[in-house]
Amino acid sequence: MRTTYGLGGLVRMEWIKVRSLRSTWWLLVMTWVAMLAGGLGVGLGYRSHTPVAPATQIANNALAGAVLGQLLFGALGVLMVGGEYSAGTMRSTVLAAPRRAAVLAAKATVCTCVTLPVALLGCLMAHAAAQLAITSSPVSRLSLLDGRVVRTVLATALYLTAVALIGLGLGAIIRHAAGAVGALFAGIVIPMIIAGMFGEAGIAVSRFVPMMMLANSIIVTAPVSGTLSAAAAVAVMTSYAVTGLTIGAVLLRRRDV
Amino acid sequence: MIEVNGLAKRYGTTLAVDRLSFTVQAGVVTGFLGPNGSGKSTTLRMVLGLDRPDAGTARIGGLPYAGLRWPLREVGALLEARAFHPGRSARAHLSALAASNRIPDSRVTQVLELVGLADAGNRRTGAYSLGMAARLGIAVALLGDPPVLLLDEPVNGLDPEGIRWLRELLGSLAAQGRTVFVSSHLIGEMLLIAQRLVVIRQGRLLADESVAQFASRAPSVEDAFLALTATATTYRGGQR
Repeated sequence: MRTTYGLGGLVRMEWIKVRSLRSTWWLLVMTWVAMLAGGLGVGLGYRSHTPVAPATQIANNALAGAVLGQLLFGALGVLMVGGEYSAGTMRSTVLAAPRRAAVLAAKATVCTCVTLPVALLGCLMAHAAAQLAITSSPVSRLSLLDGRVVRTVLATALYLTAVALIGLGLGAIIRHAAGAVGALFAGIVIPMIIAGMFGEAGIAVSRFVPMMMLANSIIVTAPVSGTLSAAAAVAVMTSYAVTGLTIGAVLLRRRDV
Repeated sequence: MIEVNGLAKRYGTTLAVDRLSFTVQAGVVTGFLGPNGSGKSTTLRMVLGLDRPDAGTARIGGLPYAGLRWPLREVGALLEARAFHPGRSARAHLSALAASNRIPDSRVTQVLELVGLADAGNRRTGAYSLGMAARLGIAVALLGDPPVLLLDEPVNGLDPEGIRWLRELLGSLAAQGRTVFVSSHLIGEMLLIAQRLVVIRQGRLLADESVAQFASRAPSVEDAFLALTATATTYRGGQR
């Protein structure tokens, strides 16, 4: 028996909080719907496409639903902290566990454990739907166990999980659910637009912009030339998440609740 | 026992709490009295480690709040009247807090029964009336069966029957040897609940004595309170 409260109990607390809100389940189900619809739409679109699309082209686009999924996941992460400030429960939480960084660590743990499996399953469903949609069409199929497909599934699921964790960090920094969701969406969309205005120089920077990494490195079977590899893109996203959470933890410790 | 020593907190140019020192003993209900905006909530938040004091210390049972091993089992607190996620049930709210401090889930059922929310425990708190929310706040404070209780305006939202219930509950908790510290700006209510009073105005200590001593200051206790606190109070509103 431990003699003081610790991460295990805090993880259980955060898990009960997350699972007891309908918004959690709605966001997760909507993510699945987005992934499934994306895969299905891509498959159906290429059925009668001329010239006949190569198998990798289906796989390259099947995870398009992640573009919407990242916003839903980001919102989920934001709500795990920002929702506590909006509802006024953050004080109760910190009273239960005055070591505030441990609270954020527990939230990050639960956030990862909820989003990663959901994202993995969502990506598999998207590929399966795309493959199902091209049955008995001229397009050749690709096994879900093909190494390239598996890599897109892993990379996309990790990307989506990282976005949720970035949302969590932003929630802790901004302490306001709507504000943090706004900042997250702006952070995903605006750099993409700005990078587009600077031509060649923009391309160099856009390799590190989340949305561009998603489209050019992560959901595709092979990275677009001049962009990061899937592994490097996941590493960059992870570093964003770690940075956000670290700043969030420092501010959480320093500020009055 | 709660010991507050030289506590100070400034918000911008306003001194919310000004070198405040007092002690709250176990075994009696101690009232924390002061006009609105006198620094009661700020003081309680500093005692609970939520706000960082600019100076001074606050200890509960000899330890700062952050040093408590199982905070919810050592201190029960009620701060805001409705600090619950409207979409979450009372039971889930309590279960989550219980899990953090290894409090058995059977205790959740117990406190729900104790505050009269046994039948409403599975409903979302967004649908709760003011009185039900007040009772849930008290259930949260009692969750860890703590020897020390700090309640900020717990009477708010309770109906007359609820106020009597709370008064008897706090009296019996104090009789068990617990430390019970209850803030209010309602002098009449305070006299029925408390045996001792800590009175502040503009963040400064005015009195720390028994209710009887306090009452002997003027023809009526209300007169004593108003005489003591009679200076225009400037309202600051809530700050983070």
